[in-house]
Amino acid sequence: MNATLTVDQRMRRRRHVTGAVTTVGGLLVLLIAAGITWSWRAQLPDPVASHWGADGQPDGFSSLGGILAVLLGLGGGLVLLFGAATWVLGQTSVTRRIGAAATAWVSLFMAVVVVGSLFVQRGLSDAREAGSVNTVLLVGLLVPIVPAVIAAIVVPGDLRQPTTDPVPADAPRVKLVDGERAVWIRRASTPVGFYLAAPVILVGVALFVWARAWPMLVVDALVIAVLVILTTFVVRVDRAGLTVRSAGGWPRYRVPLDEVVRAGVTQVSPVKDFGGWGWRVGRDGRVGVVLRKGEALLVERTGGRSIVVTVDEPAKGAGLLNTLADRARTGG
Amino acid sequence: MLLRLDPSAEEPLFAQLVAQLRLAIAAGQLRGGERLPAARDLAESLDVNSHTVLRAYQELRDDGLIELRRGRGAVVASGAGRDHRALLKAIDVVVREARALGLSPQATAALLKEAFRT
Repeated sequence: MNATLTVDQRMRRRRHVTGAVTTVGGLLVLLIAAGITWSWRAQLPDPVASHWGADGQPDGFSSLGGILAVLLGLGGGLVLLFGAATWVLGQTSVTRRIGAAATAWVSLFMAVVVVGSLFVQRGLSDAREAGSVNTVLLVGLLVPIVPAVIAAIVVPGDLRQPTTDPVPADAPRVKLVDGERAVWIRRASTPVGFYLAAPVILVGVALFVWARAWPMLVVDALVIAVLVILTTFVVRVDRAGLTVRSAGGWPRYRVPLDEVVRAGVTQVSPVKDFGGWGWRVGRDGRVGVVLRKGEALLVERTGGRSIVVTVDEPAKGAGLLNTLADRARTGG
Repeated sequence: MLLRLDPSAEEPLFAQLVAQLRLAIAAGQLRGGERLPAARDLAESLDVNSHTVLRAYQELRDDGLIELRRGRGAVVASGAGRDHRALLKAIDVVVREARALGLSPQATAALLKEAFRT
């Protein structure tokens, strides 16, 4: 039946199916968590502990219904938000993978924390006797990373969408003689992420030292891992097309020459255009590798996809990409 | 940094690469401490043997422009990024004058080499 559908239609269906399946899956996880804890209602104290202080003792209390309302309301809202973003903006595999991973992580994190923190209160007559939930929090933060990564990997990628249309004549070019080979390589990095993360890391260490809140160390480790993945990139244009690779080797993003519609230079305002820094999804599903404001390389790709990378000297990279795309199309 | 190789030129590929990298360092596009692309990656991008890239890197190391470190690859030497702007400007003048006289790059280079001898 696929034979009767165009590549465009199949790609649209791919993003709709991914959005729908991840949303249903995420909601199911939340509902199962709600069902399990609701079945414990006879064994649980009323009210139950819903918040723990830095010393590991409960300091906030709520009815079971109140907790489940937050679980389903907040968790369900986030799942729907990610699902809708995938449905509407998921032209690029990166967007669909981020959406699927976020849905998996958020729903499982909330499910584990709610189920785990109520599990330790079963059989108590007074919620104030509830012990520390550090382990629950740690499991909730870490364990969902595995299914999130699996979800990102399992999401179907993009179909090849080659084009033979010429790159517009007004796009920048780099002059090459016949047979000449060329490569453009730049590193893009930013210290901003480090300055933003430094207080988080310090607070984490302080909480650990002062309150023995050891899950904070795990949070710190995650923050550092994210920093390495998200703040330094190698951007390369060569006969394989455009490659954007994190300093950690992964994630990487590639645009083959025959899928380049046009490369150019654009101005980026991180907060206004992408809502922040790092690997982002912006308006119209544009993928952004956003490390600073200002000049950036913009590559428009077939299938209504596009990527923006804030890298220095973008005109040279764009010019070479257009020139090599010309060459690939004319068979030269 | 934009690197280009012309396989139809007489100059060997590794020598072209040396010249290109030298230029990138001179123009400040590669700064001291900056890491050069892995030889294997560069070789793949330019469709040359990785020995060609390694040979170019070794030449640059012998000139003190880069350092080759085990595990870290090739790194631009800290003193390498000296300001070449005045020199590059003077070379622009040389090229302009040579063109006006209809001299080939080879003939101009021969004159330059000769000038170094005195």
